[in-house]
Amino acid sequence: MITKRTDFENELERIHQGLAEINGNALALPVDSAKVSRLAYLQYQRASLTGDLDALNDADATLDHAIRHLGPSGDFYFLKANIHFKLHRLNDVEQDLQLGRDLLLSTPGRALKADFDFQKGRYQAAQEEYEALIAEERTWDALARLAHLHFKMGDLEKADRLYDEAADELTAKEMRHYSWLELQRGVVDLSQGDYDKARRHYERSERAYSGHWLVDEHMAELLGAQGKYEEAEAFYRSVVERVPRPDFQQALGELYISMGNSPEATKWLDRARTGFLESAALGEVHYYHHLADFYADVDEDGPEAVKWARKDLDLRRNFSTLAALAWALYRAGQFSEAKELMDEALASGAKDARLFKTAGKIYQAASPNGKGARYLQMAAELNPNLNNFHVHR
Amino acid sequence: MADHNDPNAVNSIFSDIDISAADLYDLFGFPSADTDGGEKVVIALTFASIPAAGVFDTDMLYRILVSPDPRVVGPGSDEHTLKGLLKYFDAIKEKFLGPSKASEIRVTVDQSQRASIKFIDFPGASFSTVIDTNKVTTIDTPNGHAIKAYIGGRDDAFFNDLTGFFRSINYAPQFYRVPHTMAGSRELKIPKTLIELEGNHLFNFDPNDPEWGYGDNKRELPPGPHTWNGDKFFKDANGNFRFVYSGRDCQAGININAIILEIPLAFITSAPDHNRIVNTWGESWVLKAADKIETIPDHPFWLENPISLIGQLKLDDELKKYKLVDTDGQPFADAALSEREDNRQLGANNFWLGPAFVKRLAHLGWGFGPSISALGLQTSFDHDNSPVSVHKTYSLATLAFPRAKKTLFQSLNMPDDSWNPKGLNIPFRRPVEIFVPNVCAIDMDTTGTWPYGRRLEDQVATRFLSMFLDMEAELNGKKYHIELLNDPALWNSAPIEPKTVPNPMKNDKEFLSDFPYLAEPW
Repeated sequence: MITKRTDFENELERIHQGLAEINGNALALPVDSAKVSRLAYLQYQRASLTGDLDALNDADATLDHAIRHLGPSGDFYFLKANIHFKLHRLNDVEQDLQLGRDLLLSTPGRALKADFDFQKGRYQAAQEEYEALIAEERTWDALARLAHLHFKMGDLEKADRLYDEAADELTAKEMRHYSWLELQRGVVDLSQGDYDKARRHYERSERAYSGHWLVDEHMAELLGAQGKYEEAEAFYRSVVERVPRPDFQQALGELYISMGNSPEATKWLDRARTGFLESAALGEVHYYHHLADFYADVDEDGPEAVKWARKDLDLRRNFSTLAALAWALYRAGQFSEAKELMDEALASGAKDARLFKTAGKIYQAASPNGKGARYLQMAAELNPNLNNFHVHR
Repeated sequence: MADHNDPNAVNSIFSDIDISAADLYDLFGFPSADTDGGEKVVIALTFASIPAAGVFDTDMLYRILVSPDPRVVGPGSDEHTLKGLLKYFDAIKEKFLGPSKASEIRVTVDQSQRASIKFIDFPGASFSTVIDTNKVTTIDTPNGHAIKAYIGGRDDAFFNDLTGFFRSINYAPQFYRVPHTMAGSRELKIPKTLIELEGNHLFNFDPNDPEWGYGDNKRELPPGPHTWNGDKFFKDANGNFRFVYSGRDCQAGININAIILEIPLAFITSAPDHNRIVNTWGESWVLKAADKIETIPDHPFWLENPISLIGQLKLDDELKKYKLVDTDGQPFADAALSEREDNRQLGANNFWLGPAFVKRLAHLGWGFGPSISALGLQTSFDHDNSPVSVHKTYSLATLAFPRAKKTLFQSLNMPDDSWNPKGLNIPFRRPVEIFVPNVCAIDMDTTGTWPYGRRLEDQVATRFLSMFLDMEAELNGKKYHIELLNDPALWNSAPIEPKTVPNPMKNDKEFLSDFPYLAEPW
C-alpha cells in the first residue's frame, strides 16, 4: 500500500534537496551572496521545521561567514535576528537590527523591531509599529502580529478579527503559514476553555498542512485539557520522538502526572530537567522561562525557580517574565516582592486567565484584602477550565 | 509567546513561495483577419509557464475582461490642463466602475489539466464549458456563435531587450543581487537615460563583462551611496555616445502559458456596428488558503457538459475564494508607469493613479528627454534644455504637469496609413488615452497595431519610447512617428554605439498565420 506523503515530509525533502544542491560550494571563496543566502535560509528553515533549535547554529555560522566576506547585508542580519529571536537572545537581536544595512528602514526589519519591543514589554510601541506597517501594507504576518498582541492584552474579539483578516491574505501557495495561523486561533480558543472551537482550528491546521508535529503538539495539549489522556499521550509520544526537546518532554511528564502514572512522569520530567540544564550550561538562554516554570510547578523548588526567572527577566522584562518571577517568589515564600512584580505585570494591561490566577494566589498570600479572590474570579470567568491540563508556552 | 515556533517571518523576504504562475506577461489584442461569418477579435493573455509550458497551476484563476464601446474622443485641446485631465479620468471612471460592467472570460484548470472556461455577462448568455488544454477548440455558444480557444503552452511572443530597458532606468535587481531588505534599492536615484552617463559605473556597459545584466549574471551590490554625480553623457574616443540598448532579444527561447481566444464581435456586443472599440484587460488570481482546504462539493455546475448556463451569484462566490495578484492591460503600464507596485494592480481601474501617472511621466521625461535631445532629436518633454539627464521626482502633480503636458496630450503619429485600412477618420491616439484606463483598446476598424490594440509583431517597447519624441517635429521632411526609433537608418546615422534599434525587430520564432497565432513552444 502506498502512503500519501505529508506536506511536512514534502517540504522537508525539498529543503534537503536544496541543501544537497548548494551545500558543497556555497561557502567557497569568493562568496556568492545568492548561494550563501540560500544556504543560510535553508538551514534556518530546516531547523525551524524540525524544531531542532541546535541546528539554528548552523545557519548562524553560515551567516557569520557571509557577513565576514560580503559585509553587513540587511538580509543576513535579518536572518540572524530571526535566529536569535527563536533562541531568546534579545541582546543579539537588538545588535542585529542595528548592524544590518538599512534593516531598520525595511518593512521586515521594522516588524522584527516591533516584536523585539513586545518581548521587552514595550507594548504601546509594538502596537503602534504594527499598525503603521498594516497601514502601509496589509500583510498577513503584520496582521497576525497585531492579533497576537491584542490576544495577550485580552481583546479577544479584535484578535479574532485580525486573525481573520490575516487568513484572508494567505493564498494556496502559503499553506504552512495558514496552518500556523489556525494553531494560533486555536490557542486563543483554548485560553478561554472553548475546546470545540480550538479543535476545529487544529483540525483545519492539519488539513492545510499535513504531518507537522507542531499541530500534533497543540492537539496533544487540547486532548490533555479535555481529559482524553490516552489520546493526548499518543500524540505527545509521537512529538517527543520526532522532536526530542525538553519542553515537550516536560509536557508529556506533566500529562503522566495528570494520568497518575508516577513512574513515567518521573522518567520524562527527569529527562526534561536534564535537557533544560544542559542547554543552560552551554550558555544558552532560551529555556530560562521553562526552567523557572519547571522548578516552580514541577519540583516546587522556589529558590531555584527564582534563580532562573530572574535570569529570564534580565533578558526581557514583560508581563509574562514578571509574572513568572512573581510566581517563583511565591513558591519561595517571598510574597511581598512577588506582589510588587505582579503589580507591574498587571500594569501592562495584559488580560489572561493564567496571569489572573497567578495574581489571585499571590495577592491572597500577600494581603488578605479580597483582591486575590477577585483575580481568581476573573480568571475563572475568562477560562472556566483553567485548572485542566495545560502546557507552558 | 515563547514556544520557539513563532511565525516564519523570514519567508516574507526570503520567499520560497512560488506564485509566479500569477505573473502576467502580456496582453495582445487585434481584429482577426478571418472575417468569415463576421468580424472577430483575437485576445491573447500570456503568463509565466509555471509549473511548465502547457501545464497549468491548478490554484490559479485567470480573467480576461472585455468592455465594448463606441470610439470616444479624449479630452479636447481646451482641456489640456491638470484639472481637465482629472476631469477626463473622472468621466471615464463611470464607464469602468459604474453600471456598465465588463463582460468576463474566466479560466481555471483542474487537476486533470482540463480547462474550465466561463463566458460571463456577454449579450445573450453566460455559460461555461470544459475544454482540453494545449489544443485548439471551437466553442459553440448558446446563441449560435463559434469561439476559437487555445489554453496551453506557446513560445513567448514578447521580443525585447529587457536588460537595455533596465539599464535605461538604472534598475539594480537586473544587474546586482539586491538584498530583500533594501526595497529602496530597486530603481536607483540615477537619471534615467537612453544613452550612458559618464561615470555611471553602476550601470554602464562593461566591455570586460559584456554579459553582465543578462540572464543571471549579476554582481554584488557595492556599498552606497548609489547615486551619480556626473554632469555629462559618456562619449567614446570617437565622440560617440553609448546606447543603453543592444537590440538583443532577452526573451528568446522562452516559453509561456497562454489563453488565446478568437471571439466574434457580435458575441461581445449586440451593437457591433456601433461599438467599434473592444477594451480588454487581464487579471490573475490565486486561490486563498482557507478555500484550498474546503471540500469542493459535486455541484451540477461541474458536471454539466459541454455547456452550462451559470448565475452571477455563484460566480461572485467563486471569485471571493481567490486573491487578485496581477493585472495586465497596456504594455509597460506596470514596469514603466506604475513602478510594479502591488497596490497598483488595479486593472482598468487605475484612475486614482492619475496624479501619480503625471508625476511618474515627468520623472521619466527628465531622464529620457535630455538624452533624446543629445541625440539631435526633438523631445515632447520640457526639460529646460538640460544638457544631460536629470534625476527628478515630484511630490505634486501640479508641478509635474506643465513639464509632461505635451507628452501626455500629443497625438502619436503613425508611420503610414497601413494601420487604418478602411481610411476612416480615426484620430491618432494620445498617451493619456492609452494608459488611463489601463486597458488594451482594440479598434476594430484598424489593424489593431499598437496603440489601436496590440499585434504580436508590434515592437511595443520601442514604440513606448516614442512618447517622449515631439510628434510635431520632422525628420527628412516627415513628421516623427511611433516607429521612428525602430528605424535602423536613424541609428546608423546617429553618433552612437552600438548602431542598433533599441529592441529586436522581430520575434525569435515566426508567428503563425492562423489561430492560435503564437508560435509552438520550444
